[in-house]
This record gives sequence, structure tokens and C-alpha cells, in this order.
Amino acid sequence: MASVSEMYDVTWEEMRDKLRKWREDNHRNSEQIVDVGEELINEHASKLGDDIWIIYEQVMIAALDCSRDDLAWTCLQELKKQFPGSQRVKRLAGMRLEALEKYEDASKQYDSILQDDPTNTAARKRKISILKAQGKSAEAIRELNEYLEQFVGDQEAWHELSELYINEHDYGKAAFCLEELMMTNPHNHLYCEQYAEVKYTQGGLENLELSRKYFAQALKLNNGNMRALFGLYMSASHIAASPKVNATVKKANVKYAAWATNQINRAYQVSHARYLL
Amino acid sequence: MAPELLLDSNIRLWVVLPIVFITFLVGVIRHYVSILLQSDKKLTLEQVSDSQVLIRSRILRENGKYIPKQSFLMRKFYFNNQEDGFLKNTKRKVVPPSPMTDPSMLTDMMKGNVTNVLPMILIGGWINWTFSGFVTTKVPFPLTLRFKPMLQQGIELLSLDASWVSSASWYFLNVFGLRSMYSLILGQDNGADQSRIMQEQMSGAAIAMPADTNKAFKAEWEALELTDHQWALEGVEEELMSRELDLDGMFSKELPTGIF
Repeated sequence: MASVSEMYDVTWEEMRDKLRKWREDNHRNSEQIVDVGEELINEHASKLGDDIWIIYEQVMIAALDCSRDDLAWTCLQELKKQFPGSQRVKRLAGMRLEALEKYEDASKQYDSILQDDPTNTAARKRKISILKAQGKSAEAIRELNEYLEQFVGDQEAWHELSELYINEHDYGKAAFCLEELMMTNPHNHLYCEQYAEVKYTQGGLENLELSRKYFAQALKLNNGNMRALFGLYMSASHIAASPKVNATVKKANVKYAAWATNQINRAYQVSHARYLL
Repeated sequence: MAPELLLDSNIRLWVVLPIVFITFLVGVIRHYVSILLQSDKKLTLEQVSDSQVLIRSRILRENGKYIPKQSFLMRKFYFNNQEDGFLKNTKRKVVPPSPMTDPSMLTDMMKGNVTNVLPMILIGGWINWTFSGFVTTKVPFPLTLRFKPMLQQGIELLSLDASWVSSASWYFLNVFGLRSMYSLILGQDNGADQSRIMQEQMSGAAIAMPADTNKAFKAEWEALELTDHQWALEGVEEELMSRELDLDGMFSKELPTGIF
């Protein structure tokens, strides 16, 4: 099997920098991380210095994603040797137990972390994800709500809760969670777009109007958001087709839908032009 | 005009430079000792939770205009409602952290004193004793005679200009002057930063003020009462459709080929 460095002809420094970039951007490309990281650990461990510990953590989580328990175990052992009694390492040990589906043991591990430090958010969130993995979504929602009562600022948790609610088709509450996210990240077009989609799914004239506005906002924040463009078209044409609207509103929405169609056509032309070039 | 004194160059070699080194090394040692003696500040769950609630309320005030009016009013009601609004009704148990009653604060204060004030006094005294009987350097600005007993310890010359100072004052000058060197070498927020610590001690008791939670809640309540909802999305469609979409750079020919 050719190694990564041979296939791409890169040095170990470039591999290390690539791993750092993935870490900072929060990428979850686990297979690539395992390939690059495994080689870095096996061949170049001595040259990495203190960077190696964070690489161990990154590679371990990626290995759990790819069911590479052997690699995960090695990483965990190294981390345990270097940082005995660390809560961060305990959480990783718990994650490994979760990956092996030993949910009871994992839960006990997280409980022991919480005994030492009740403010540890990572352990609480892992317990909730155990519930989610076991399919107990109602309980997971309940626990997550309790967690969010304590830690209102945790954006990751709000997003997770909105996903859980969408799966349960509770769109009103999902919209609430997304509103929290929109407030804390007003320039993120993806939250606006997701909120608009939830509103569109809820249906009803008021919600359709809201969804059209938020699709427009998403487009304003990012002109290239095709999904928002299609959403704008759909919501505008839906409102225009509804029998309950008066003439002015209908005319305005027809205009919006026409504009959206124009833009969609333009986008296809641009993409074809690029393709043919 | 005071006569210019010519100092033995040995003074420069054996007094001025050693004092600089001593001050600097003592400062570095103080920094590491303070790291060793640092006690972990354990925050309670309630404190963490309260600080996040305050942040959420502030975000609601600042960015509430991005969510629909109904949602904003719902949240404002949750916080500020007369009967059961969170900010109105939550009273935290307030224990003013006086140095005497709070044991951890007492030990912190003691540690602060030991690491900072004590060495300064000891070493200042030692330098005064060792390097006494001669002038070390001249400060570049003229001083009045009042400063003589302070800056010219051990030199009993009535006619000597007050600008000529002894080694003890050179030591104190160094302690404050090397502060910027410490931030260069040890990074910001280092334990050797004497004057910053003294400033903190002077500006009042504990920095973390749990007592302020109630006041903070009240302040947030007032601010939120005053906030109105100005929906930012009022004319968003018109704004959007006033110009064509900028589709440049959306479709690039280059597809990522593997990892690198």
C-alpha cells in the first residue's frame, strides 16, 4: 500500500499542517484524517514534538468514526500515559466505549467525570448522544432541554436540539432553536436558510411570508446560496397561488418569483459557460 | 548648574548591570513561582449558568432585530415578565467576599503578598546594604531637594544634586521599568508584573464579583425593558432585488483531487 506521502509527494510538515487546518476548520473527513494521521504517528512521531498529543486526539476520534479500534486504542494509551487523570482523556475513553456500543460503561465513565467537575459540558453532551445513539429520542430531547436550561450559550447544543425536533416533526420548537442560532450568528446565511425551510414546512400563509423573507435574507448574506434561491421561488409562488391573498400581495409575489426565475436561469448559464470553457 | 561628576566606570560594570540582571532574574523566578502556587478558580454551575444567561439577554437586545417580532416579544416576556420573569425574580444568595470570611481569598492574598511584596522588600534592603556609600546613576531630569533622603540613602552629602541617586533607587527603577521586558519574554498576563498586581490590589477587593449577579440582572432587566424590536428584514426583498445576484466564482472548474 503506498503511503500518503508517496502518493501525493508531500513532506511530513505539510501533512502536519494539513491536519492542523482540518482541526481548525472542524472537518469531519475521518478517513483522510486516519490515513494522514496514522502515517504521521508511525513514521514521524519524534519530529512532531508537543504537537503529537493533539494529533493523537484528532486521529483517535477519526479512528472511532472508521471503526479502527486498534488505532484508537494505541492513541488512547499514549494519551493516558502522558496525561493521567485528565478529564479530557477520560472523555475520549468514554467515546471509545460508545463506539464499541458499551453504553453502560460509557455512561459510568461520564458520570465519574461529572462527579469531579459538575460544570463539564463535554461529558453531559456525550451522555445525551448516548441516548440519541440508542434511539431514545424523546429522552434525548428532554435531557438536552435540561442541559440548555443550564448552559444557554451552547450553540452546538441548540443546533443539535433543532435537528432532534425536526426529526420529531415538531417544527415550532425547531424554529425556536434556530432563532437562538440566528441571533448569535446574524451573518450566517445557513441558519437563515434552515430557519426559512422549517417555516416553509410548517405551512400557513404567515409562515410562508416569513420563510420568503428569510430566504431573501440568506441570499442577501450569500448571493451564491442556490438552495435559498430555489426556496425564495417556491415560497413566493406558493403565496401567489394561495386563494386567500389580496391582489397587491399576489402581484408582489409574482414579481419576486419572476425575479428568482431569472436569477436561476442566469446561474445555469454561468455554470454551463464555465463547463464549456 | 550642578557640577558634572565623573563616576568610576567600575560602578557601571559592577553595580548598574548586576542590579539589572538581579531584578530581571528575580522577576522571572517570581513568575514561575506564582504559576506553581496558583490555585484553580473553581466556578460553580450557577455562576457559569448565570453568566451565560446574561450573555443571552444581551444578544437578545443587540440582535433581536434578526428574528421575527413575535419571537422577540416571547423572549422579552420570558425575561422581564412582572410575575415570573427570569431577570426579575431570580435572586441569588449573595455572599460578599470579604477577605476575612472567605478562606480561599485569604490564602490568595497571602500568596500574592509572599510572592511579590516580600522579595521586593528583601532584595531592596540587601541591595541597599551591599551597594551603599556611592552614587550609581543620574536621573535625566532635575529633582528637588526633598527627594534627597529618599533617593540618596547612605550618602551624606548636602551639596550633592538630588538627581544623583543611589543603587536602591536604581533597583526600584528597574522593577517598574522591566515590566515591558517581561511581557515581551513571558507573554502578557505574567506573574512578574509587579505594578499591575499593585494596581489590582488598590482598585478594590476581589475581581470576580459574585455579589454583582443580582445587580447585573437588574441592569439587564432595565436595558431589556427599553429595547424595541426593529425588524431588520422589513424591506429585504426590495433590497435584494434591486440588483442582480453576484454569481462570480460560484462554479469553479477546479475540483479537489484528493487530500493535497
